[in-house]
Amino acid sequence: MRLSPETPRPAEPEIETAHAEEFVEQLRCVADSLPSRINIDAQSVEQGLAKLVLTLIEFIRRLLEKQAVRRMEGGDLSPEQIEELGLALMHLEAKLQELKTQFGLADEDLNLDLGPIGRLI
Amino acid sequence: MKLYVYCLVEGMDELPHSLKGIAGAAVRLLSWEKVSLVVSEFAGDAVAVTRENALAHAAVVQGLLERTTPLPFRFGALVTEEQLQNYVSAKREALQVKLEQVRGCVEMSVKIISDRDWTEEPATNIGHEKPGTAFLSEKRREILGGEARAQEAKRVAGWLEGQVREVVREIDFKPNTTSKLIVASGYLVERVRLDEFRQKVAAARQHRPELHFLVSGPWAPYSFANIDLEFKTHFGVS
Amino acid sequence: MSFEQIIVSGNSDSLEESELSLLETLDHVLNRGLVIAGEITIAVADIDLIFIGLNVMLSSVETAQEVLRNRQAKTE
Repeated sequence: MRLSPETPRPAEPEIETAHAEEFVEQLRCVADSLPSRINIDAQSVEQGLAKLVLTLIEFIRRLLEKQAVRRMEGGDLSPEQIEELGLALMHLEAKLQELKTQFGLADEDLNLDLGPIGRLI
Repeated sequence: MKLYVYCLVEGMDELPHSLKGIAGAAVRLLSWEKVSLVVSEFAGDAVAVTRENALAHAAVVQGLLERTTPLPFRFGALVTEEQLQNYVSAKREALQVKLEQVRGCVEMSVKIISDRDWTEEPATNIGHEKPGTAFLSEKRREILGGEARAQEAKRVAGWLEGQVREVVREIDFKPNTTSKLIVASGYLVERVRLDEFRQKVAAARQHRPELHFLVSGPWAPYSFANIDLEFKTHFGVS
Repeated sequence: MSFEQIIVSGNSDSLEESELSLLETLDHVLNRGLVIAGEITIAVADIDLIFIGLNVMLSSVETAQEVLRNRQAKTE
C-alpha cells in the first residue's frame, strides 16, 4: 500500500518477495504447530504437566541422539557399542511415542513455548 | 471481565480514533507510571488463535506505529486490571529502558530460504546394517545435515548483518535449521533510515542470487520488546 | 490452528499474497512480544533453553495438589 509523498512512512507492513509460494510453504509449518487456544493460566493441569515433562524428556532424548552420533563420528565406538547404543535410542524413541499416545498428545503438542526465545524443539 | 492487552506506549493522552480490537471491542488506554497500556475488554478465559483475532491484534498495534513506537505484547495476553498494574509496577524500570531503546524505530523482517540440500549421502551398506546401527546411521544423516545448515545460516546472517549494520540499531537473529528457511531476522531500524535499509538489502540480494529473500515491514518492534531474559542459571554441558 | 476460509476472487497470486501476509503477521504476533508472566531462563552451554512461565507453573502445582486432595477425599 503506497501512501502519498507527504506521509513519511507507510501505515501497513509491506511484504516483498519473489518467492511467495516457497515462503508460504515454510511459514505454514510454523503456523501448524501453534496451540488453538492461549490461556496464561494453565488449562488442563494434568495434561499441562505431562506436556512439560514429556517435552523435557524429548529434548534430552534428542541431545542424547546428537551425542551418540558425535561419538560414532569420533570413531571411538566399536560396532557392537554402536549397535547397542542405536537399539537403546530406538527403544527410547518408541517409548516416548507410547507415552505421548497415552496422554493424548500429538508431536506438535510437545513443543514448549519459550516466549521470547521461541520454541524448545 | 478481563482485559486483552495489545501493547505498551510512552504516556499517551488519547488514541487514534479508528481503533477496534478483538471481537470488535473498543480499545482504550490505561495509564500508570508514565506509561500507557492499550487494552480492550474481553469476555472469556482464553483467546482463540484465529486469523481474525491475530489480525485484530496486529491492526491495533500497527495503528499506533504511525504516532509512536509501541512495545507490542505477544498475542493472547488476557489479564485482570490488577495483574496488569502489578506487572507495570514490577517491570517499570526495564520497560522504560526498552522504550528508550526502541524510540524512533521500527522493525523490519528479513527471511531467507536456501534450496540447497543439506542431508548427507546415505551409507552404501544400508541394507546390511543391524537395526540399532541403521537407526543411528539415519540419525547421523539428519543431524549432520542439520549442523551444516546451521553453520550456513550463521554465515548468511553474518554477511547480511555486515551489509546493513550502519543503518540498524539492533538485530534479532533466529536461526531456523529444520527446514529450508535458514534465516529469520528482525532489524531495529530508525525510521529516518528506513529507505537506506531497504536499499542496502536490495543491493545485497543481487550478490546472492541463489538465496531467496522475503522482506517485510515496517512492524512494531515485536522482536525487540521482550524484557524477560534477565535471570539465567547456567549449566555446563558440552 | 483454525483459519477462516480465505475467500478471494481473482488469480492465485493474490490468494498467495494474502496468505503470506497473514503468515508473516502471525509470525510476529504469536512468536514475539512482551509476555506477562514470571520468568526463569535456564541456559545450557550459553544457549537459552528453557523459559518457564512462573505463574503458569505455580498455578499448575497448586491446582495439582488440589486435584490430588480431591481424589483422595473421593476414595475415602
